[in-house]
Amino acid sequence: MFKQWFGNRQRRLVQLISLGIIGEWSFYGIFRCPFAVPYIGCGNCPVIQCPGRNLWMWGWIVMGISAVLFGRVFCGWICPGGLVSEILSMGAFFKNKINGIVSSLFRAGKYIVMALSLYFFFVANNPRWAIPIRTGEFFKSVGLTFEHADPIWIYKTMAVLIAVGISILVPMFWCRFCCPTGGALELLSRFSLFAFTKNKKCTACDQCIRKCTMETRPSESNCVQCGDCSDFCKLDAVTWRSRIRSS
Amino acid sequence: MKKNGVSRRQFLKTGGLALGAGLASASPAFPQTYAQESLQVWSCGGLAEAFEPANHEFEKLTKASIAYTGAFAGALGKSLLTGSARTEIFGPRVLELAKKLKAQGKMLWFKPLCFTQYVVATPKGNPAGIESIKDMGKTGVKTILTPEASPPGGKAAMIILKKAGVEDKARANAVLVGDCVQTAITDLVQGKADAAVIEKRITRLPQFRGKLDTLPIPEAFIPPVPVPFTIGIMKWAKNRALAEAFVAFILSDQGQTWFHRAGFIPAQTEEGERLTKKYGVMDV
Repeated sequence: MFKQWFGNRQRRLVQLISLGIIGEWSFYGIFRCPFAVPYIGCGNCPVIQCPGRNLWMWGWIVMGISAVLFGRVFCGWICPGGLVSEILSMGAFFKNKINGIVSSLFRAGKYIVMALSLYFFFVANNPRWAIPIRTGEFFKSVGLTFEHADPIWIYKTMAVLIAVGISILVPMFWCRFCCPTGGALELLSRFSLFAFTKNKKCTACDQCIRKCTMETRPSESNCVQCGDCSDFCKLDAVTWRSRIRSS
Repeated sequence: MKKNGVSRRQFLKTGGLALGAGLASASPAFPQTYAQESLQVWSCGGLAEAFEPANHEFEKLTKASIAYTGAFAGALGKSLLTGSARTEIFGPRVLELAKKLKAQGKMLWFKPLCFTQYVVATPKGNPAGIESIKDMGKTGVKTILTPEASPPGGKAAMIILKKAGVEDKARANAVLVGDCVQTAITDLVQGKADAAVIEKRITRLPQFRGKLDTLPIPEAFIPPVPVPFTIGIMKWAKNRALAEAFVAFILSDQGQTWFHRAGFIPAQTEEGERLTKKYGVMDV
């Protein structure tokens, strides 16, 4: 388990660096963002301590470009939530237990959450569901945010935390089935220029699914371009595809 | 410099002495430093832009460390009143809140800190030619309202419009009805609307500074409740001398400068004293 986790050292290093850069913003988004949909339109947020005020625009630009180039590479290499989910998933009890139709149905979850997020942001003007603690010590401010938030903010936050926490049982539950950003990147990834993909040597032995933290095959739904499968595939059936070269 | 009969050296020396003398009289003297000491300061979130630099100056002067929290005073006040929270200094909006805390014995004493101002804000250059708050009711004028924002930005602005006799028309003219003043004002800056009633402090926020024009609102239209801010020492202050030194600094010319810059009327000015009397901001 640990050998697999530390196998891709480059990815872990990038994840740790990105944790240092956007990790704090991620925590603010979950625990202190007063709005229905966090991480968007942060420039005018009253929470003046949140690093998202300076990062959000670049964050979304980088995310969009990375999706067009490499699909859901943000999820696999950069997202701090993805890293947390991976850590929680290390000893997941239901590893490779949710497959087939159930998995396919659950996958729709992230598109439903994405549609809700788009509704709240664009149609409902991203309502404020909590009192913004503009500045203050982090944990005290988190406590105050919870104390004075509308019930809907509490439900939303608890739902996110529970979905991330379920990764202890079902690997990467939040990332695979609930994350709206993952859903948006998944849609964009269909047009990505570069990606890991299966080649003719693939015998559908499903070794890749069994090893993959997202329980998928390369270039299929939920593939986050981590590249772990290319290391495990004994048939050398996973290759790096470039649409540019192939066209 | 020589041409005017004053050498560069003389000019700098005189200027430096004047500045030094000015600062010496403007900031309170601290007989001791408070290294290793910390002070927990809570205030209404609207004061955050003033408190943050003021706290930093105080820290430099005294070596004390300020743990500052700025948020909607109603929420902080509720936490303090119901006993779930503690702080050493509290700078709330709404005089009644300070009085309630004092009555409960949780606040030892308070003093007037500053006063907010309400204005009609327009995009830079005032393209719609708004002349007064009454124009927000004119046909064709696009307004922004935030009735669901926290009371000082929401309810108070609606009361002002009502007292000005244009509430219904301003509502009909609204192109955006939001629940967050800062988010809504972005649309005003971008010219999607012509006018909004906001606190002057909003126009001083970094993201809006220099991007809005303002028109005064007659004082008769302004509800008294959200206008005064106070600052007081709580019973939980561990180091009373440090807490008193902090309040003295905040109420000094040096400290009050930050409140003026953030768009407030400092209590220690002629206008501040007039408003102190008008709103009865007294610790009795």
